[in-house]
Formats: sequence, C-alpha cells, structure tokens
Amino acid sequence: MNPFVRISLATYRRLAYAYPQEFQMVYGTDVIRLGEDAIEEIWRRYGFIGLLRLIADLAIRVPLAHLAELRQDIGYALRTLIKSPGLALAGIVSLGLGIGVSTTAFSELRALIFKEMPAAQDPKALVAIESPVSYPYFEHFRDQRQLFAGATAYMAMVPFSIALEGAVNAKSERIFGHLVSTEYFQVLGVNPARGRLLSPEDDKPGGPPVAVVSDRFWRTRMEADPRAVGRTVKINGQAVTVVGVGPKDFLGVWPIMPADIFVPLTVRERLAPELADGILQQRDARSFRALLRLAPGVTMANAEAALETMTRNLDRETFNAEYAEKNRAGHSVRLLPGGVVMPMKREDLPMMLGFSGLLMGLILLIACTNLANMLLARAANRRKEIAIRLAVGASRFRLVRQLLTESLIIAAAGGAAGLLLTYWLTNAASSMKLPVELPFQFDIRPDGSVLIFTILLSAIVGVAFGLAPALAATRADVAPSLKDGAGSQQLRAYRKFGMRNLLVVWQVAGSLMLLLVTGFVVLGFSKSTTINLGLDTKPLYLMGLDPVRDGYSPDQAAALFEKLPDRLRSLSALRGAALSDSPPFNNINSSNMQIVGIGDGQESSTMLKGSTRQSVGTGYFAALGIGVLRGREFNEHDIQTNVRMTPGSPAKAMSMIVNQTAARDLFRSGDALGRRVTAKDQSYEIVGIVRDMQASLFTNAVAPAIYVPLTRRSLARPSTSGITLLVNAAAGPDAVDAVRREIASIDPNLNLFRVRSMNDQIAETVSYLRIAVSIYAAMGIFALVLASVGLAGVTAYSVAQRRKEIGIRMALGAKKSQVLGLVLREGSALVAVGTVLGFAGAFAISRVLSSMLNQLAEAMNTNVGNVALIVGAPILLAALAMLACYFPARRSTKIDPLQALREE
Amino acid sequence: MPKQDPSIHLPLKTNWFHILLCLADQEQHGYGIMQEVLERTNDKVRLWPATLYGTLKRLIEEGLIEESDERPAAQLDDARRRYYRMTKFGRRVLDAESERLQELVRILQVKRGAEAF
Repeated sequence: MNPFVRISLATYRRLAYAYPQEFQMVYGTDVIRLGEDAIEEIWRRYGFIGLLRLIADLAIRVPLAHLAELRQDIGYALRTLIKSPGLALAGIVSLGLGIGVSTTAFSELRALIFKEMPAAQDPKALVAIESPVSYPYFEHFRDQRQLFAGATAYMAMVPFSIALEGAVNAKSERIFGHLVSTEYFQVLGVNPARGRLLSPEDDKPGGPPVAVVSDRFWRTRMEADPRAVGRTVKINGQAVTVVGVGPKDFLGVWPIMPADIFVPLTVRERLAPELADGILQQRDARSFRALLRLAPGVTMANAEAALETMTRNLDRETFNAEYAEKNRAGHSVRLLPGGVVMPMKREDLPMMLGFSGLLMGLILLIACTNLANMLLARAANRRKEIAIRLAVGASRFRLVRQLLTESLIIAAAGGAAGLLLTYWLTNAASSMKLPVELPFQFDIRPDGSVLIFTILLSAIVGVAFGLAPALAATRADVAPSLKDGAGSQQLRAYRKFGMRNLLVVWQVAGSLMLLLVTGFVVLGFSKSTTINLGLDTKPLYLMGLDPVRDGYSPDQAAALFEKLPDRLRSLSALRGAALSDSPPFNNINSSNMQIVGIGDGQESSTMLKGSTRQSVGTGYFAALGIGVLRGREFNEHDIQTNVRMTPGSPAKAMSMIVNQTAARDLFRSGDALGRRVTAKDQSYEIVGIVRDMQASLFTNAVAPAIYVPLTRRSLARPSTSGITLLVNAAAGPDAVDAVRREIASIDPNLNLFRVRSMNDQIAETVSYLRIAVSIYAAMGIFALVLASVGLAGVTAYSVAQRRKEIGIRMALGAKKSQVLGLVLREGSALVAVGTVLGFAGAFAISRVLSSMLNQLAEAMNTNVGNVALIVGAPILLAALAMLACYFPARRSTKIDPLQALREE
Repeated sequence: MPKQDPSIHLPLKTNWFHILLCLADQEQHGYGIMQEVLERTNDKVRLWPATLYGTLKRLIEEGLIEESDERPAAQLDDARRRYYRMTKFGRRVLDAESERLQELVRILQVKRGAEAF
C-alpha cells in the first residue's frame, strides 16, 4: 500500500472515532469501511487531492454531528423543563433576583467609591495627602520635580458671600468655593469652557483680584451670560473680576463638597478671612489640602515614603526636637487616590465593601441554594428515566451532558433574568430622586466585573449541582432503580441527612441570618429616625450669620455679635437667643479628649471617649429651653476672656460647662462644679453642669460633652458654617421675620443664611436615615422572597414526590391528619435545625459588623435583644416553610390512593 | 409516523436527491450508493463517506428512507453491509421533486418554443 494512502487511512480512522457516541454506534464502522473500500480507488483517480478531500470531508462532518446532538440536548432539555415549569421557574426567579439585586447594590457602591472626577485629565495619577498640610510644607513638596509632575494646594469648603454687580437682586449670596494655588487647574488638566483659568500671573501681589467660576455657577447665577468673562462680582464686599468659566460638570477637586468659585490663595485677607495672620507663611498651620500629580513611573507607595521623610525633616527644622517627636508620634503621611469623587482611606475600603458584600453574598448564596435544591430534586426524580436510558444503551457521558445542559439552561435563564433586573434596577436607582442634591451626575451603570462574577457564579452552581446528581444518577445500578421506580429512592433519601436536607437547612439558616441582620440594622436606624431630644424643639429656629464675608472686619464682626443677642432678646417675639459655633446636635465627629482634672490638690488625667465640644455664647441653654442643672451659664465676662496668646504658656483660666456624663467621667465621685481642668494647654474652671443630651441626630447615645465660651476670636473667624444663631420663638415663624427685621435694621447688607426650624433640621437628618432604612428593609424583603420561593419549591416538590408513599399509607388506612402530621413533622425538624444555625450565624455576623462600623454597632447592640425580631423572624420563616409543606401534602391526601399508585 | 407534506423538503438538496434516486428501484448499501452516483454523473458527483452517512442519517430521521431488514440473494449479499430502502414518504418526496423539475423543464421548453417562432 502506498505510504500516503496508509497514513491517510490511519488519520481517517482516528477521526472517525471522534464521532459522537450515538452516531458511532450506528454508522461508525460503516463510515470506516466505506473509507477503506474507496481509498485505493480515490488515490488512483484523484491522487493526493483526493486523499485530502476524503479526510477534510470527515473533519467537517464530525463537529457538525456533535452540534446536531447538542441541539437535540437543548431541545430535549427545554421540553422537560417546560413539563415541570414550577421548579424551573423557582430556580430562574431566585437566581435572577439574587444576581439582579446583588449586582445592583455592588455596582452602586463601586460607582460611588471609584467614580472619577469629571473633566480632569488622567485622574488616576492624582493623589491627595490625607491630612491637611501647611503651605510652606506644600511648597517643599511641590518642588520635588522627580516625584511630582505637578502639585496644588487648596482650601475646600470656603464660604464666599457673592453679589453680582449690576444684577437685579444685588443682595449677596453665600456659596462655597476653593481657595487655590494657581497651579490648581493645570495640575488637574482642566480646560476652561470660557475665558481662561488661573495662571501664575494671578499670584502677583497688588494686581486686581480675579476668580474662576464653575459652569454651574455661570448657568444658575449668571444666567449663562455670554459676557460673563470680565464681569466684576463682589466677593465678601470686594470687587473681583471673573476671568473664566470652568468646564461642564467640574465642581472642584472634591465634588462631594462642591466648589462654585475658585479664588487664588494670594488674595488679601479681607476677601478670604481664612488667609489671615499670614497663614501662608506659617509652617505649623496645617490648613491646606495638597493634591499631587505623580510623575511617570512614581508609585503611590514611593511618593508616600518620600513625603514621609520630607515631613520628618521639615518637622525637625520647624519645631524643637521634643515637640516634633510628640507631635509626630503615630502620625505618618498617607496618600489617597486624588482623582476620584470620594477619596477614601485604603483601610476603609474593605469595610465599606465588606458589609454590603456580606449581605449580597448571603443573598446570592440563598439564590444559589434555591437553584441547587431544585436541580437535586429534579435529578432524584429522574433516576428511573435515566436508568431506562442507560439500560437501552445510552452512554453515561451523553446522559451527564444532557443533565448538565438542563442545569446550564436554567442558570443561563437565571443569569439573563438577573441581567435584565440589574439594568432595570440601576436605571431606577439612577433616576431615583434623592432627598439631597448630589453635586455630580450620579449615574449608576451595571458594573461589568460584578456582573461577570455573579453570572459565573450562577454558571458554576449550575454545573456543580447539575453534575453531582447527574453523576450519581448515572452511576446507579440500573436494576433497582428500574424495579422500584423513583418513589422508593426518594423515600429512602428523605430520611437520611442527605445533600437535599442539608440544603433546606442551609436555606432556612441563610434566610434567617439575612432577615435578622437586616432587621437589626433597620430597627436600629428607624429608632434613630424617631428622634427624641428631650426638649421642646418646636419653638427653636436656627440661622447662619457670617459678617466677615459680608465685608466686616474681624473687630466689627466681634462687636456686632456682642450686641446682637441682647438686641434680639429684647424682642417680645423671642423667649431666648444665643450664638454658637455650630448648630446643636451637629457633632457628627466626636473625638477622644485628654483632660487633666485638678481636684483636692492632685491631678488626674482622664480620656473623655467620643466626647463632643461646642463653643456657645451667653444664654445658650436658656435659649435651648433647658437651662443649666447647676452653676451658671456663660456671661459677658467669660466671652471676653482672652485665650492663650502663645503656644505652651497657659493663660487665665476660661470657663467651661460640662454635661452630666462628662462630669461623672472626670470626677467620679466628687462634685465637678468649681473644679479646674486642663485641655490642650488651656486651663478651665467648670462653672456649670447641664443635662445630658444626645450627641448628634445620628445616634441615640449620650456622650460626654463640654461647652466652652464663644470668644471674640472665634466670632471674628467663623467656621465654614458661619456663626449659628439659635432663637427660641414664642410666636412661631413670625418670630423669624422679626429677627430678620431686627438684623436688617442693624445692617441691611448682613446676609442671613440657612434659616430653618430645628424640626426642619431634624427632618433633613432623618431623611438620610430613611434611605438607609429602606435599602436594608428592601434587602430583608428580598431575603424573605428568595427564602419562600426556595422553601416552597423544594418542600412542595419533595412532598409531591411522596405521593406514592402517601397513597400507600392512605390505602392502608392512615388518616389525612396522620399523613399531614408526618410531612409537617419532617419539615419542621429541618426548619428547627436551620433556625438554630441561622441564629448562630446572625449573631456572629452582627459581632463582626459591629467591630467594623460604629454606626452599625449601635444599631446592632440595641436590637440584638429585640424580642419581636428574634421571635418574629424565625416564626415567619417557619410559617412559610410549613405552608409550603402543607399545601402539596393536603393535595396529596386528596387524591385517590389507587391513582397515586398507578402513576408509577 | 404522521402524514407529512412532501413539499416541506422541496427543492430537494442535491445529495438527498441523488441518494433517493439510487434507492428508487432497489435497496442499496452505502458503497453501492456512492458508486452509482459516481457512475450516473460521469464521476462529477462523489458523495464522500462522512457526507454520505451524515446524509443517510438525516434522511432516516426525516423518514424518507429506512434501514432494510430484507437481504438480497445470498450470492449478492455482503453480510457486513447495512442496506437502505426508500419509505413511502420518501417516494412521495422524490415524486414531488421530479414533478417540480419536470415543470421547470416544461417552462423552459415553452420559452424555447416561443423563441423558435
């Protein structure tokens, strides 16, 4: 035989063995024989080309045969799924819900965390120093050309009082902006929409002050004036020329705290009181945020290390060694990604993602359990069918593939449903109206990687739980399956602690966990939404004043505030009026404060954990309507006491008022009134004790609180929220008008902003919590839906499988109630085990979460003992499970026993 | 086998047509079909083995042919080979196809005739 022919024939034979088994059984030998018979003749006739065609023909036909078989599989799978649509639907619905909900939630979170700053170029190369730095330090950093391609320093959330010259309503408005070094826009890579952005020229002292406004400001305040560039605006009473308009959507470096105007750092301090006292030259005034653009090839870790070294050296130059050491102890320079909407500390990331990840994981797991249960149930039911097919010669591989095809079809349908739901949910979430206005376009898109993960997971579950029973079923000895039928297998398996029972247990446990955890959170948060401050909030009104921005000098401002409360108190509409540096119950950030108490001649240092500190004026507690418990309020004298003038040298003691908790923490047994304490090198005398109030609207907890006098210094340089004026109005809203008139009579140019009632303020805070509550509540409901779908599907199916057994029992004279009892008893055993595990899991999770998040800790701790939830959740689940057992069981008892037996 | 409409298979695929043509008057095995088609088309059409058996399988699935259990006379019989024969439905399909072809030929003749005038 010719060697070509021999080789071709060998190839031909080998290829022929690659036919699908069924085809091979019937036609395999024929195809090979025909090739053997014809090959010599083909060689003679066509030569080499002929041999090639012979093989190519086979090489094309073999995959086609496989495809045809796959099509058959899919068709068959679809037909069988349609025959028992309930189970297939349960699987698809739970998988779809699980994938949809978890993908949406995660996409939302990632959209928030990883969203990049609009309009900036290559935002990935931008880094921000986590804590503020002083300007001289920044200048040093900026000069490190090998590390940074650019650097800018800015102050965020700087309030400006702005009046447009020549505008119809020339009354000034209070808006927020950034004080920026002139490299700001260049470092960000932002281009102007109109005019120009800031340039180093603008830093030259003596030149006319300039500013850049945001696109938003230009549209909303300047009515998109085409001649906006070159227009003069009055900022804090000073004339400033608008030189440019920023690009669309650009609201500064930190869009979470948006900026509508950008003013160079070198402007005079009348324009920006933040810059007073030569702050740009002070090496210890850590008031500036630094944004750096990494030079090519420099990593964040490299830059961080270099900055750390530089900072240590600078500290050594700046301070004496001891102070520097003390000051730097435990501090190190840390960088955050700078080009994102919401810069986050690295260590916060796993926590942010962790909590929702855990809940989402639970939801997905429950969904997958549903699917697994369903697949196992199906496989068990089809033992007989599989046995028959094996007996008549179907290959095991083919059968396994057939079963796998079915599970993959369900997984795919579930995945598709999940995809649709995700798109729908993210759309809905994007268009949902939030009670707060977000400064940037917050559009949530399904997160690709999350989606791929969830769909892969469902595919894996489909394969794993499709494969296991398929292998088991096809391994089965054919004879007993054929003889006994599916029913008896089912019967035996049911009593064992088998895979399916395990899954039912897990299902109950997982759902209960999810229900309890979300329940704890929801209850905790909704408790916060019913705020009871323990005082009458109805007559309280809050308003902001910031005369420095209205063109006042610090002295003028201080003088104004000294007479303002008295003038307001003389109004008949008011029962009280007082000033403070921040609104009451606004201490979201609490800190640990080291306080040295001096009593009975000995000093004792106490750490006030999570304490809050507020500067308040005269008559503050009277205005709140609670007064002081003991001692007195601050008086004029307290307000005028000078604070320490130089660091390190204690000056005259100031007055201090503490709440009961702080008093107890500081002087465990003794009386706090009249004692001396020292905090941050300043000594105080405790002159009054006030009732405990909750520290903020976000928590119900009472924290130690200390109140210090609102001095001239803080009056002259108010924080970003201005000075808060608290009035207790006897006459309701009319009183606010009286206050307005009174202030206008002092100076019509004084801008009164954020005028609201205390109840409005509470409602605003509560609305944030409401969102959180509704999200967690929704997740709890999802858990419930998933659990009921799964439990109902599985229990109903297994009860339906026992129709034969039930039939026999009934035929032998069992009463309906006995049969029902049997089914319910077995169901409740599984539910009970699941409940115990669920409780254990839920408590473990709440412990873990509590350690991660303070807010949650409070919500959890106050509700872990909630009887309604702890009893209610498992009863609800158990009731669902029992219902799912009961209905099919009752249906089974209704049918004629003979008919049930004949069905086999 | 439910009554089927032969026209769903029209126009008949070339391979199908050739195989049905071979089985029109006799039962035949795979090798025989291949040879006959080759001879009839003057070596122009060769049904390569995998194509041939793939087509035979399809024809069986569609109910146009079936495996034959009758064997030809002993001296002609090749015991190793599987024989195929046409079903009644297959015959109807073949008839329908030849009618369709005749009709086409007739149309062509009419047109040619018209040209001649």
